[in-house]
Amino acid sequence: MTMNRTIVWAGLGVLLAAAPLAAHHAFSAEFDVQKPIKLTGSLVKWEMINPHSWFHIDVKQPDGQVVRWMIEGGSPNQLIRLGVTKNTLQVGTEFVIEGYLARDGTNKAVGRNFILTDGRRLFLGGSAPGGDPVLK
Amino acid sequence: MRDRFLIVVMVLFAVLISIAPALAQSTAAGRATTEAGSYRVPRTPDGQPDLQGYWTNSTYTPLQRPEGITRDFFTREEAIEIMKKAAAAESEQTTPGTIADVHYDFTQFGLDRNQGGVPLNLRTSLIFDPPDGRLPPVTAEGKTRAAERAAARKRLGGPWDAAQNQSFSVRCILMNRAGPPMLPGAYNNYYQIVQAPGYVMILVEMIHEPRIIPLDGRPHLPGHVQQLTGNPVGRWEGDTLVVESTNFTDQNPFAEGASEKLRLIERFTRVADDRILYQFTVEDPATWTRPWSAELPMLRTDGPIFEHACHEGNYSLVNALAGARADEKRRAEDAVKKSSQ
Repeated sequence: MTMNRTIVWAGLGVLLAAAPLAAHHAFSAEFDVQKPIKLTGSLVKWEMINPHSWFHIDVKQPDGQVVRWMIEGGSPNQLIRLGVTKNTLQVGTEFVIEGYLARDGTNKAVGRNFILTDGRRLFLGGSAPGGDPVLK
Repeated sequence: MRDRFLIVVMVLFAVLISIAPALAQSTAAGRATTEAGSYRVPRTPDGQPDLQGYWTNSTYTPLQRPEGITRDFFTREEAIEIMKKAAAAESEQTTPGTIADVHYDFTQFGLDRNQGGVPLNLRTSLIFDPPDGRLPPVTAEGKTRAAERAAARKRLGGPWDAAQNQSFSVRCILMNRAGPPMLPGAYNNYYQIVQAPGYVMILVEMIHEPRIIPLDGRPHLPGHVQQLTGNPVGRWEGDTLVVESTNFTDQNPFAEGASEKLRLIERFTRVADDRILYQFTVEDPATWTRPWSAELPMLRTDGPIFEHACHEGNYSLVNALAGARADEKRRAEDAVKKSSQ
């Protein structure tokens, strides 16, 4: 690797650092990274609203009691462009959510992974760019 | 799996057949790239250069040139490699238990800038003037103002003491990238341009901001009428739409910081059926020691523009404020416990 190349790749590191996925708000203010959570529940309602969608799920606790949770998801604009619409997930669909608890201590969390009971991950079917940009 | 392979092959093919014209446009170093070819700009029925349609200005190119890079342009191979690596980085799951992970990425919710395509850009930075690709130095007045603003923010208390202490973007009033100038980020980098006699309308998907630009030669609004997004007036210079905006407030959300003296000149030049060259010059002698200019391509993409009714669904602001109150309560309870021990 030539010197010039090395500089380019060093520069690339800066470039990537300088272009974070700046989303709409301060996540660390809303959710607690020290409190990961894994929930299994069924979909009750899906609010396809901006700036972030919200999934309402019923989670059955070990004692049999059912507790309602709200899980924050991505912006509908991105989801719809990926082919995910309000008809993609039927009410009653069971899935596992891995995420982080809200700081305010209520039954809210941000979703990190949405996994169907058969192991499939939501939103990624066939749409992931596989690391190659859609250059045009 | 087979479908995925086919998609990859199709993408690579699309890259191959589209790189040549992109290269020709990208190497025209900060000039209206119509010079680079003999493209004939189509006309609207009333004879204006036709900019209408859906466009995206998604990019992996930073506004300012990264340290250690001294060239204006990458080679085509370098630019493609950088875009591939950047796209791959976006596709990766972030590390569990890190702040970055409590954030959206492609893996999480399909948040990436690839969806509508990314025009190949060989530039090492969007800024092409000053020639070093960096923002010019801030004036003494600009530094004083920045310090005064910081002090004023401090007087308001902590960032989560009140909703008003948060930025316009967190409060869903205006996103700093929505512009003007219109700069892309990780998502919602889509625009619809509609032309009617006497007007151009640019609908910005981010925060759903419609920019209505008159072309009838009217003067700017009186100086005391100030608007967050300024007051735009447009004109044609040949085939280039020139939009000049003034009358900004001193709370312009433009991320790089600016004063109410900001004068922004944007240029839209259609350089190919599928591409507009978007250039802008920022003049604000109260903030920077000299004007600066940047450019980036806008690529034709598919519609429609989706609504971004940010305020209506902004539970996040409430949740974060509630989180701050809960944190305060916990700290107060801990302090009581400690003092009673």
